[in-house]
Amino acid sequence: MASPDFSLSVADYPLIQVEAWDRTLGQFESSLSASLGTNLPGSVGETVHHKGLLVIRVAPRRLWLALDDGAQAPALAVDPDLGCSVSLDEGRMRFRMIGADIARVLSKCIAVDWRAPAAAPGRAVLTSLHHVPVLFLRTGETACELIVPRSFSRSLSDWIAGLN
Amino acid sequence: MSSNHKRLSMGGRIDREQPLEFIFDGRKLAGYRGDTLASALLANGIILVGRSFKYHRPRGIFSAGPEEPNALVTLGIAGRRQPNLPATTLELADGMVVESQNRWPSLAFDVQSVNGLLAPFLSAGFYYKTFMGPTRRAWMFYEHFIRKAAGLGRAGTDPDPDGYDVRHAFADVAIIGGGPAGLSAARAAAAAGAQVALIEQDFLLGGQLLAEPSDSAAAAWLRQAEAELESFETVTLMKRTTAFGTYDGNVIGLVEQRDPTNPAGEARQTLTILRARSIVFATGAIDRPMVFSNNDRPGVMLASAARTYLNRFAVLPGKKIIVATCNDGAWRAAFDLADAGAEVTVADLRAAPPAALAAEAARLGVVVRAATRIVDLRGGHAVSHATLIGPDGQSETACDLVCVSGGWSPTVHLTSHLGVKPQYRDDIGGFVPGAFPADRFGAGSMMGTYSTTDAIENGHRAGTEAASFCGKSAPAPTPTKLDLGETAAAPLREVLSAGRGKAFVDFQMDVTTGDIELAHREGYESVEHLKRYTTLGMGTDQGKTSNFPALAAMATLRNATIPETGATTFRPPYTPVAIGALAGRAIGHHFKPIRRTPMHDWHRANGAEMLEVGLWMRPYFYRQSGRDVNEAYVAEMQNVRQAAGLMDISTLGKIDVQGPDAAIFLDRVYANGFAKLPVGRARYGVMLRDDGIVFDDGTTTRLAENRFFMTTSTAKAADVLSRLEFLLDTAWPDLRVALTSVSDEWAAMSVAGPKSRAILAAMFPALDVSDDALPHMGLLESEWEGRALRILRLSYSGERAYEIYVGATAGEQLWSRLLEAGRPFDLKPYGVEALGALRVEKGHVAGAEIDGRTTLDDLGLGRMAGKRTGFVGEVLRRRPAFQAPDRQRLVGLECIEEGKRLRGGAILFLPGEKPYGHGRGRVTSVTFSPERGHYVGLALLAGDVATEGSEIVAVYPMKAETVRARVVSPVFLDPQGERLHG
Amino acid sequence: MLRIECPCCGLRDHDEFRYGGDASVARPAHDDPDPEAWYRYVYIRTNPAGLHREFWQHVTGCRQWLVVERDTRNHAIASVDLARKSSARKSPARNPPA
Repeated sequence: MASPDFSLSVADYPLIQVEAWDRTLGQFESSLSASLGTNLPGSVGETVHHKGLLVIRVAPRRLWLALDDGAQAPALAVDPDLGCSVSLDEGRMRFRMIGADIARVLSKCIAVDWRAPAAAPGRAVLTSLHHVPVLFLRTGETACELIVPRSFSRSLSDWIAGLN
Repeated sequence: MSSNHKRLSMGGRIDREQPLEFIFDGRKLAGYRGDTLASALLANGIILVGRSFKYHRPRGIFSAGPEEPNALVTLGIAGRRQPNLPATTLELADGMVVESQNRWPSLAFDVQSVNGLLAPFLSAGFYYKTFMGPTRRAWMFYEHFIRKAAGLGRAGTDPDPDGYDVRHAFADVAIIGGGPAGLSAARAAAAAGAQVALIEQDFLLGGQLLAEPSDSAAAAWLRQAEAELESFETVTLMKRTTAFGTYDGNVIGLVEQRDPTNPAGEARQTLTILRARSIVFATGAIDRPMVFSNNDRPGVMLASAARTYLNRFAVLPGKKIIVATCNDGAWRAAFDLADAGAEVTVADLRAAPPAALAAEAARLGVVVRAATRIVDLRGGHAVSHATLIGPDGQSETACDLVCVSGGWSPTVHLTSHLGVKPQYRDDIGGFVPGAFPADRFGAGSMMGTYSTTDAIENGHRAGTEAASFCGKSAPAPTPTKLDLGETAAAPLREVLSAGRGKAFVDFQMDVTTGDIELAHREGYESVEHLKRYTTLGMGTDQGKTSNFPALAAMATLRNATIPETGATTFRPPYTPVAIGALAGRAIGHHFKPIRRTPMHDWHRANGAEMLEVGLWMRPYFYRQSGRDVNEAYVAEMQNVRQAAGLMDISTLGKIDVQGPDAAIFLDRVYANGFAKLPVGRARYGVMLRDDGIVFDDGTTTRLAENRFFMTTSTAKAADVLSRLEFLLDTAWPDLRVALTSVSDEWAAMSVAGPKSRAILAAMFPALDVSDDALPHMGLLESEWEGRALRILRLSYSGERAYEIYVGATAGEQLWSRLLEAGRPFDLKPYGVEALGALRVEKGHVAGAEIDGRTTLDDLGLGRMAGKRTGFVGEVLRRRPAFQAPDRQRLVGLECIEEGKRLRGGAILFLPGEKPYGHGRGRVTSVTFSPERGHYVGLALLAGDVATEGSEIVAVYPMKAETVRARVVSPVFLDPQGERLHG
Repeated sequence: MLRIECPCCGLRDHDEFRYGGDASVARPAHDDPDPEAWYRYVYIRTNPAGLHREFWQHVTGCRQWLVVERDTRNHAIASVDLARKSSARKSPARNPPA
């Protein structure tokens, strides 16, 4: 069968995770928002892109800050009374996926409705691919990314590469 | 061979421009694109297509759809063999190879058809009565022969070379069934603005409309409806797709057959998990058979099926036809068949069939016999005569086809899967779905309305309401009407009195009226008992044609109404689903996802035999260490004890624990205290479950006042994180603690052995790794090649050892550099087998001992908790049962028989005790100990007999081994722990 | 398949979740020394035919523990809430952290 119009590329995906304590979420967010110079995504699955930095809310009190290729990491100082940060520079891989057949190919990977508002460009969905937790980022009309744990990345990229 | 001699020269929905060849039982036959296997066989005049399950009776094609009980075939050869497929649903493809089933040596001459003579012995309950109880031994003897004689097709044993796919799909409205009701519903829902999935098992849309002549008004309506649906971008038309089950959350299981004209390489079947916000069931109805003597003969066919073969496939299946019925619907078949040139007699049970029908019959030359029933058939491999009883008495009529129609049975199976109980409606004499919840709707004949006009109208309504449930309410234009002039059906509610021969109720399972009478006589009156006693409805067709007649027969025997007699519950799958389709791509090396450590490629390139440990691939041993695992692990562990070894421990669970309350939190989750652990120090910790059983162990290091680095066992990593999150979210939400899995962040390796410090010093000349700077349980943080580096001085093997953590991207590089730096010191890699052996020798517990049944005290770790309170599991670990004197606790065992070995899993008995039952304990882990020169092991042994120095017998029934061992301390090596500092 | 409406992530398949048992039993405070209380918490369950409060974690999603009210007779889900919200309403802590 003709190979699908679809391509996959795999690269490292360094990010910083920040998390607020339950009772200091508001203060934490204002302080983080000020130091990043941007509004924060309001709810889980929303993202904000600002000056080479993608801010993704992955849990009610937890955000991922991912740098665009070549962008400078922001200087972050998290007040330990408000929350904490942990660098996740090494543990994840980014699958960049693009092509006209992407929705069909992706339907064999994850249970995400490509047409739903929650999966519209700019949205993030935490889900699973073959039982492995992955973050789906919709980046365009026919493009998306999957952020996957490094240890599973070869197994999952094999899975995707075998799809038609 | 006069191929296709039963094919009409015109009409039908076949493509005469595309002839196809196929092979049936070795014979090359011809058909057309648009045929099913069944229509092509009939076109070729093939009446006999299979033998029955139990009695090996000759059987033909009974239906034109998935309800087919008889015409089951095996498709394909070698790894592609698929048994028990209904010929009526197989889309004909060029080169198709098909075999009939359950016959030997040939379909026409089957030696086991003598089973018919043994019939009295094969009646309901026969196996149980004859072979169970006191005669069970006889069963053991006969089972082989009986199993060989009974049954249907056999699956292939070669690996299936074809692929299968599983995909996920979503819709606002799912519509199951592409007949007039479903088409109308799809159009209405799409016009209202909903995303629609229309599911049709056939390769053509239209349902019963396909049985209408291809130049009729119905055909025009169908073309228009199809074109309209194709114009909606929001409608997904899923042909060749069977909804085999509906599940909670409005999830529908769909299995799609590959379009045979598509290029090879596409998945043979695709399983779609469709999540719909609302569902419209438009699944239609199935024609009901009639029960009379020899009603299973080849040449007996549902009237609706005969009409389908004629109008859809241009096949005239008989020349001299009897249509036996009780309702108006079958007359339409009679008229079409007569119009096509057949000689037709209608035998209607009713005394006065409608005058309009009689007039049309007269016009077409159809003989009408009112108040007449069919009671028996003659003919072996094909029907030849029918016995009819009417007002003028009994007579025999020659025929080559008998069409039967007992009225419609709504196809309620899928609605029943979701717990909607079928309800009996007396006016239509059939079961319809009970009340639907708000997100499910029904339309068309499955709701008991049998006219096309009504189907289109209530399909439209159901589609509109289903869309509106999803918030899509744009006004939809009213649908085009289509009136086919159907009248209400008068269904058959009783079983006809049978003649002398067998009268079949369930063709596939060979259940007769006699079996139902027997079940009734023996008290199996409830429908559920009847089913199990007679196996009625348990075939691959799930009794689609037999359920109602059986129910009616039992109702008559019990002198009860049908609702009093009950209805069976339908369960998925509606039609059989290949296991391959359920598995999809999760087979072979994708059976489960595989985790690889950052050093995986190095291991593979450098002689490691890999071992699956959970999802992880780990080095088992290195081939250069020995000829086999036993030789290799001993060499590897000796190298650790004498020089140094390097082990990949990246698989350990790693959790970053942060927050002002992190120390308090750890104090509560570990059985031993962590609050007083100084910054820069590590501690071994054990967690319990709430019930006091040990949960997991690992080391946790204090990186800063409010930050810890926890490691867990490889196997429990996910469970531990989830459990800790549970405690924070549900029990102690006030604690300010953040938990993050950092398992994938770090490559981890352990350098163990007396030369390990020297190797570290050579590797990291800029770091101070002296015992003062990095004492036992100490931490050193730094950077290496721009990545974070943590060195912890921890030992699992009992030797001086260091765990080195570095950013995962630098793992392989650091690993190879370490081996280079360690070469002068004989540093060599070792695998998990040696790792396990080293810890057994040292008496450290692992998963085999922390098995979800053992307590701290059982494992000899009670002192870790001491008198601490307030931690998880603290109260219940002290319950009296855990203190019983015969509670099994950890001991060491030493093999004391020359040339023998201990085995994990061996059961322990006292010397002289009969080796029976669970014994006094069991061996959990073993290794050959180079230190001791014989096998040693860890065991859990009843405390009242676990006296050090005493003898015990380890019995391993799997290999019929018995070996004597001595109970000793579990620490076989260096009890003072001096080697940690060596 | 059960589908659970995660308050953070929306309606998701049940295989994204981990079951956490009965949410109607009250966990004793961490330092509660009463064996009876712990025995009831660990072992005593009502097994209702009807609405059941139970814990589920959206483990491949936002990782939040949830309290789901599910009808054991037909799997209909009446409500889903973050466990933190619902435990805030009935915190059993005897000795609040310093």
